Amino acid sequence: MEAGREDFGIAIRSAFLKKGTKQRFSLFALLILSVFLMFIEKIETKPLNVLRSIIKDGIYQSSVIVSSPAKGYKSLHNKIINHFFLYEKNKKLKKEVNELKNKKYKSDFLVLENTQLRKLIDENDSPLADLVNARVMIDKKSPYLNSFIINAGSNKKIKNGMAVTHGKNFIGRIVDVNFFTSRVLLVSDLNSKISVLVEPSGAQAILSGHNDKELTLDFLPKDHQVKNGDKIYTSGKEGIFSPGIPIGEVKMKLKKVNVLLFSDLKQVTFINIDVGIKK
Amino acid sequence: MSTFFRNINFRILNLAPLVLLFLITLTGNAVINISFISINILYVLVYFWTLKLPESLGNGYIFLGGIITDVIFGLPIGTNPFTLLIIASVASYVRNVTVRITLINDWISFLPTLIIANFVYFIILYLSDYQIDYIYLLKNSIFTFIFYPILWIFFSITLRLIK
Repeated sequence: MEAGREDFGIAIRSAFLKKGTKQRFSLFALLILSVFLMFIEKIETKPLNVLRSIIKDGIYQSSVIVSSPAKGYKSLHNKIINHFFLYEKNKKLKKEVNELKNKKYKSDFLVLENTQLRKLIDENDSPLADLVNARVMIDKKSPYLNSFIINAGSNKKIKNGMAVTHGKNFIGRIVDVNFFTSRVLLVSDLNSKISVLVEPSGAQAILSGHNDKELTLDFLPKDHQVKNGDKIYTSGKEGIFSPGIPIGEVKMKLKKVNVLLFSDLKQVTFINIDVGIKK
Repeated sequence: MSTFFRNINFRILNLAPLVLLFLITLTGNAVINISFISINILYVLVYFWTLKLPESLGNGYIFLGGIITDVIFGLPIGTNPFTLLIIASVASYVRNVTVRITLINDWISFLPTLIIANFVYFIILYLSDYQIDYIYLLKNSIFTFIFYPILWIFFSITLRLIK
């Protein structure tokens, strides 16, 4: 019995503490170092933040270089596929252009009417948001974090919490800023909770991500009148995002209020970051 | 001349696990998701090579690979190095106590390793205030275990070429 215990001890010691052939570090020392790193991750000081930024920027750039052959192949494949469907696509686009032309006349009239009504109540136009454009560098979604890495960081005045849009549609917010790169937490992530407004009912709710395509509306008032096709906008209540940024539309599923995003998160290449009001 | 080429060939092949480790981590393919299936190939890679040929995958490189994965996936730095080193420790222990290693032995001993590693992962993320998709974590553990033999065969072929 004692010999068995001794053998177990020897095996454990050998596994953890001995360096082994051609090993420079023992497992035990590296495990301690990992715990230390996790501990200092919580500490926010300028030198540590600078070091973190340098390491993260370096890794992101290396990742882009290493992933470039695969990305190149993917883009070539897409180009070839697109080429085969060119005729069909052209036909579809012509139809869409005609539909949009008709809609444009209608919207021009609405804009004119809106301006005249604003003049009547002496309200100025809302100030324009100052947008910074960026490109998605890495879109590998982690199993635990649905996020993008973009090629704009503190060098372009990006700060944590800023709203990120794809075209005009809200897709997420900045959660980590380095010198030349930033991380965007997508609305579909499990950790994402956003205060939203449902139109036309005007109900306020929290939009929660679940790591998949469909999001849900939580904390709706009990007697809400939300129905299929209602539009979801940022409420701007938390004071971080501008109000009225379109997000998606309601899709009722049994008693659950699901939300389908206006933007397809898989197709995002260029994004805009709302860095404040234009002066 | 032939000895020279054989030496170069041997050295290149000997680097294969290391190249694979950095390729997987830098491209963000540590976890492969194909529709419902989710496999953590990084766990299998570290477990297999620490068990079979520890010289080919140094502890320092495993640590570095973990850091890269954390940065790419946006997790608290130290999470993956800790988990991967736990896997390497268990593999190292299994190597010390096992005389003859077969696929079945490997596969069975991989199960407690996977459970310990994912439990550690879960605890770290829970303490870091990350919301965790429990079903995903369970699914990932199950499929990583199921697909272990396939990756085992692929790595064994590489190992035979190295040896």
